[in-house]
Amino acid sequence: MTQRALTALALLTLATPAFAQDTLNALVWCDHTDPALIAPFEEKYNVKVNLKDFEGTAAGLAILDQSQPGDWDVMVIDSVDVHRAVEAGKLAELPADKLPTADFFPELVMAENNTVDGKTYAVTEKFGYNTISYDKTKVDPADMEDMAALTSGKYDGKIGIYDYYLPVLGLVALGQGINTADVNADTLPKLQEPLMALRKASKQVSDVVSSQTALATGDVDIIVGGGEWLTAVLAKDNPNLDWTIPKQGGLRWSQSIGVVAGTAKPDLALEFVQYIVSPEGQAALAQSSCYWGMPANQKAGDLLSAEAKAVLRWDQQPDYLKRAQLYPIPDAATDTAMQDMWTAMLNQ
Amino acid sequence: MSLASKERTLARGLVAPALLWTLAFFVVPFLAMLALSFAHMEGRKIVQGFDPGNYLRAFTDWSQLKALINSVEITLTVTVISVVLAWPLAAIIAWRVPQRFQRLALLLAVLPFWTSYVVRSYSWLLVLGKNGVINQALMGLGVVAEPLALASSRTATVIGFVHFFVMLLTLTIYANLVQLSPNYARAAQDLGAGRFATFAHVILPLTLPGVITGAFVTFVLCIGDYITPQILGGNTELTLPQLIMLQMGRSGNFPMASALSVILMAVVSLAYAGCSRWLRLDRI
Amino acid sequence: MRILSWVYLCLAYAFVLLPVVVLVVFSFQDGRLPVPPFQGFSLQWYEKILSDTGLMTALWHSALVAFVSSAVALVLGFLAAHALARVRLPGSVVLRGVLIAPMTVSYLIIALGLLTLFNQTGIKLSLWTAGIGHVVINLPLCFAMAYAAMGDHQKTAERAARDLGASEAQVLWLISAPMLAPALAAAFFLSVTFSWDEFIIAFLLTRFDVTLPVEIWSMLRSGLSPATNAVGSLVFLVSITAVVMAEVFVFRRAK
Repeated sequence: MTQRALTALALLTLATPAFAQDTLNALVWCDHTDPALIAPFEEKYNVKVNLKDFEGTAAGLAILDQSQPGDWDVMVIDSVDVHRAVEAGKLAELPADKLPTADFFPELVMAENNTVDGKTYAVTEKFGYNTISYDKTKVDPADMEDMAALTSGKYDGKIGIYDYYLPVLGLVALGQGINTADVNADTLPKLQEPLMALRKASKQVSDVVSSQTALATGDVDIIVGGGEWLTAVLAKDNPNLDWTIPKQGGLRWSQSIGVVAGTAKPDLALEFVQYIVSPEGQAALAQSSCYWGMPANQKAGDLLSAEAKAVLRWDQQPDYLKRAQLYPIPDAATDTAMQDMWTAMLNQ
Repeated sequence: MSLASKERTLARGLVAPALLWTLAFFVVPFLAMLALSFAHMEGRKIVQGFDPGNYLRAFTDWSQLKALINSVEITLTVTVISVVLAWPLAAIIAWRVPQRFQRLALLLAVLPFWTSYVVRSYSWLLVLGKNGVINQALMGLGVVAEPLALASSRTATVIGFVHFFVMLLTLTIYANLVQLSPNYARAAQDLGAGRFATFAHVILPLTLPGVITGAFVTFVLCIGDYITPQILGGNTELTLPQLIMLQMGRSGNFPMASALSVILMAVVSLAYAGCSRWLRLDRI
Repeated sequence: MRILSWVYLCLAYAFVLLPVVVLVVFSFQDGRLPVPPFQGFSLQWYEKILSDTGLMTALWHSALVAFVSSAVALVLGFLAAHALARVRLPGSVVLRGVLIAPMTVSYLIIALGLLTLFNQTGIKLSLWTAGIGHVVINLPLCFAMAYAAMGDHQKTAERAARDLGASEAQVLWLISAPMLAPALAAAFFLSVTFSWDEFIIAFLLTRFDVTLPVEIWSMLRSGLSPATNAVGSLVFLVSITAVVMAEVFVFRRAK
């Protein structure tokens, strides 16, 4: 019996991770958990990258609040929320001259979002659109050019809504002729009714994968808030899935990556950020398993196959970039009000 | 020291580790959560204090209260349906299936217990979807022309739950039935009771402890479950656990999540008080 | 009546087994989506998951957490049951109540409470913290099963051993434990099953090293794929094997 206890103890020691290897702790979105993206970095620097994925800026900041300085090294965040994170003291300054922003799509440098008081705190890594995804064999593609068609009654029960309040409320605002930059405490009440109307016409409100599943299995024919990030993963198996930016416009999402303040490994963290925005990292990130998206660095285009570029609609970007607006950037009170409106919509 | 008091000291020593563990990792955490539920958020900061605001909100804000109502409705529906479906199944296995096949029959009836819990709900998604097995079969047989909207609804959540709890209840009711001596039924019939009367007045009441215990466990597990409604419900409505996870995961509002958890616990305690007369949890 | 019974039995089996059958069948799907039509037989998804190191590590973590936490729960539960069944302590009813209490509380609440505690005390989340949570849920089970199995003949045997000069440790180890072996084995087995498959505590109380259910959950969230079916089928196969082995080696012998 003692022998068995010893064996158990030996197993335990085995289970404790080897400390010899250096580690990097990253707070990320699910697209960064793809081994195809992370493994090359781990091999090159002989480190283990620990990944924890989270949803939404509030949750990410809450995780940082509960951690000790040094627990986290890098973090992915909505580009529009970089200021919030900097104000909370969560991000460390990045050396701007060591970032390849010169190779970026000019619209995606987003200095106004990534810098505060002339100091750079984050760098854009990936972007795409929240618009309308649909199955073109089941709906009239012409209808999809006008958001009003969604609540016309024709597609009742065939719509799914992507479960993220910022882009969808932004889209609803566009449908009402309100620019996303003007979504605030005064204009928010105007969105209540159209949001509920949209909810009434729809069958479900669901996260990335449930939305993909529903569209792929035909449970719904339209996803509001969808875009290339939703359909690209499925494009190979279901070429009928398509997306468009309606005449009222669409939303552009973008995510940035930065080094967490208080990191004990600032150099390694910076290397990771540099890897992610390098052409290699960008190409892998663009086609990551959780969702696809356009790389911010144009040079990634050389490493992407023609097929992948077609799915990402590389060539249409100039037009799309012109027609899409950024996410609403609510202040704390408006943000809470938006979330409450969203919860009420979920649970009407 | 007398022998008895020495024994008591020893017994205390033996109970201590389990007791300390339960206190440190169950009672204390619960108290910490209780304290947190009276805090409130200022921006992203948690401000400790004695503020019943979270509880007020839970009962006055419709979007929060609705989650509680949904949870109770779904749980009661699931419990009733599961009991009604499981009782005959347990009885058939106990009374109709030949003795030597009973264990096998029972094992087969609870086979899906051994699939992973997360995967179980997921597989119902594949069964109930618009292109799923049921719809394809129904359409192939010409029963329906248009696929039924089964997935992503309360119906799907209930089906997923019932599937699990029918298995659980079949086990507890079966265990109860096989312990019943056939003499009870014989005695009742000797005294002139008909088959139905025997069933209604003798057999059924005798299985009540098993049924109630099983139903209570169903209630507790069902009302606290996050996975099944999250995977199968399609966010068409929220249950209390989903709302708790939403408050915590998305808004980082730990005080509100704590208050909702305390409410969840209170509901379970009410259910416990309601059926404690019949409960024999140490005998599960 | 008799025919009706068999019809009901068949329908019940159909209902209970349907999702498992669908799960297993579409794990062999030769295509990217695990929904009908069945496009042909392929083992590619099994290949994929068996070479997925993240998944295999999670599997190992699950086994580790399950065995260690169940062992701790069993030892604590057995010692407490032994003491409470033998000696009437003042307040032993309350004690029993406290020990059983976690059984009546949703796992979500236990997880949230522990998360609050760990956050406030600055304890970092890991497999260990999840393991602590699993001991909390399995301790009442082990305690209750051991307590229920203690009978009078046991007390007599223990007393006899003590009279013959056995130390308390010897009594526990050489008399009580072997006499209760079937019940203890059953409690351990059930605990392992619960811990192995537990999601919400493991989800909320782990950070980087996660257990299998959590890994499967993130697989689910990162794409619909027959690979998920394959993992599910594999876990099913492993569990069934374990059940059959337990049935044959533990419970049969216990009779």
